[in-house]
Amino acid sequence: MKRNPLAEIMLGLGGLLTTAAFFMAFFWAPGTVYPDGRIDFAQKIFYFHVPVAEASFLVFIFTAYYGIKFLMTRKRIYDTKARIATEVTLFFVLLTMATGILWTRVEWGVWWLWEPRLTTYFILTLLVIAYFVLRNSVEDEEKRAVYASAFGILAFIDAPISFFITRWLNSIHPVVFAGGEGSGLETSMLITFIVAQVGMLMLGYAFYQLRLREEELTERLEALKIEIGD
Amino acid sequence: MGDTPTNDLAVQVRGLTRAFGVRKALNDVSFELPRGAFLSIFGPNGAGKTTLARVLTTLLNPSSGTATILGFDVVTEAVELRHRIGLISHNPLLYPDLTAEENLLFFAEMYALDNPKERVSELLADVELDHRRLDVVGTFSRGMLQRLSIARALLHKPDVLFLDEPYSGLDPHAMDILDGLIAQIRGDHTFVMISHDLDKGLELCSHALILAAGKVVLFESRDQIDVPTFRETYRATVGSGVA
Amino acid sequence: MAKSNSWRQFKAILRKDLVMELRTKEMVTSMGLYALLTMVVYQIALAEAGDSFDVRLVMPGLIWVAFIFMSMLGLNRSFVHEKDQGCIDALLLSPVDRPVIFFAKFAGNLLFLLVVEVLSLPVFSFLFLQGREGFGNPIWMIGVVLFGASVGISGVGTLLATMTVNTKGKDVMLAVLFVPLMYPLLRAAVGATFAAVIGGPGTVETFWLFMAWVAGFDVIMVLVAYGLYEFVIGV
Repeated sequence: MKRNPLAEIMLGLGGLLTTAAFFMAFFWAPGTVYPDGRIDFAQKIFYFHVPVAEASFLVFIFTAYYGIKFLMTRKRIYDTKARIATEVTLFFVLLTMATGILWTRVEWGVWWLWEPRLTTYFILTLLVIAYFVLRNSVEDEEKRAVYASAFGILAFIDAPISFFITRWLNSIHPVVFAGGEGSGLETSMLITFIVAQVGMLMLGYAFYQLRLREEELTERLEALKIEIGD
Repeated sequence: MGDTPTNDLAVQVRGLTRAFGVRKALNDVSFELPRGAFLSIFGPNGAGKTTLARVLTTLLNPSSGTATILGFDVVTEAVELRHRIGLISHNPLLYPDLTAEENLLFFAEMYALDNPKERVSELLADVELDHRRLDVVGTFSRGMLQRLSIARALLHKPDVLFLDEPYSGLDPHAMDILDGLIAQIRGDHTFVMISHDLDKGLELCSHALILAAGKVVLFESRDQIDVPTFRETYRATVGSGVA
Repeated sequence: MAKSNSWRQFKAILRKDLVMELRTKEMVTSMGLYALLTMVVYQIALAEAGDSFDVRLVMPGLIWVAFIFMSMLGLNRSFVHEKDQGCIDALLLSPVDRPVIFFAKFAGNLLFLLVVEVLSLPVFSFLFLQGREGFGNPIWMIGVVLFGASVGISGVGTLLATMTVNTKGKDVMLAVLFVPLMYPLLRAAVGATFAAVIGGPGTVETFWLFMAWVAGFDVIMVLVAYGLYEFVIGV
């Protein structure tokens, strides 16, 4: 089984970039300022929270993509890929929830608010967890793969609908990139954000590839066991 | 739909493999069966018998290899093929909350038969369930259920009949009735039977196949079979073959 | 010919489910009972709130909570019938296009759900809304929401129930998959019901906006469910 040098490079680089972004956030990018002149430190979490949230959405695309590929070809490897993509999604989703809750506490004074975007994220978390609960409750391997693919596709289509309906219902969550008057970031903030975002996507890619390699090794071991068993 | 079968083989299986990842439920299975034959498939649990039957009855697609029944490919011509095959299982495959007649009429509609009512009455008479036609199937005895399920399988006059352990769970009387019914239709049908019961399977068959760990261990016609050797081979697979 | 066969098969499956239901009354009774039980729970939930607030404010939420959980009872039952005696194999063995099975099951589930909804709604009004203000908008608007949302519930539910009937702990499994997927539909259904119940200026427009969400969800999700059905039923 060949190693995947790209994944390892991405892991290192992603780690470096996200760490760099962390320092840039605190020492370079200006903080947003409250009306009374205090610097808004809670805003710094933005450089972590948003990249993680966007990474979770991006990785989730692969759940649906490989789900479709699996249903078309019935090749087990695509199901494995879809499952690992969903694992990485779950990881990012949980990080998003955790950072989101911290920010909400500081900024809005409560841990949780049934605010539209939080609600959507809550639903997404439940969908991703449901994906794994479903997998665990089907014994036959192929059935499990087919059902998980079908559910992954449904969930992937459902999540944006949840997102748009809640957004339509007047979100009070900050919309940074909506365009128009007063939105957008200062250059140093934008650069910090981009560094964090690119780093996070690299990490996502690396996690995915490394988990996949581990899984492929496990499957090969299984194959060898069966061969010896014969 | 009216295509004529291309040859006089009832079943032709070539290199049939059904795998998911590294596990192979069927591994390069090949055999041919002439029309009018009666094939008994033996093998331990997990040998792939059910998978083979499900592939041949179009319920599962093979991963590689081909299988044709009466010249119809099980994958590409599944719909045409379904008009020509029937299944008698140890499960009755009938709705317990419907009457005997409603059950048959339902399946007659599924096969889009031309004269469903007549065909159903005819079959109910054949399996001697005429007097219970308006009774809910849930109240039937095991033997009656089996007779009705035979009627269900014969509704659309299939040419090839698949039997999935049809004798399991039957009392001796019901077994006799099933024997009688099989003997009655044996002439113009091809049979493929999955069986655990070596004696029964050998008694009925014209061809026998032993499957173990997804592979064909032995495929012979009845007159080639030396019963003691056959038993020995079978016993060996039961010991080793569970995948 | 294939087309008329499909229509015959569709009718046969639907008729079979209706006959079985009329004979056993399993689904409608269990769903109806469930609705009644939910109302008892609601009485408890609202007991301490007294008469000081308008029940109509929470009514849309309460009825959709009852309906979504009630629908799962029916959806589960509808495939347990097929699975118990292996009938689904006999069905799949017949020359029927898989989408025909989907649409027939979908239609049956929709019908049973609507029947129980229409029966339980007056009971809810009788128990909770007497002596209070009536509905602000015409009653047929409630009918529109009931139908619209039930289409989505039955369509996606039919696909999910086909899967969960083959899982361990099928009832819980259906809820785990179903409820989060239904979020946007339920949210829109509650919004539309609210607009219909409260009434007043602008609520008719709000109602139709929410109904557009319901319709959009129905179209997208039912099409996806239809597309996925063949894969799911074939393993």
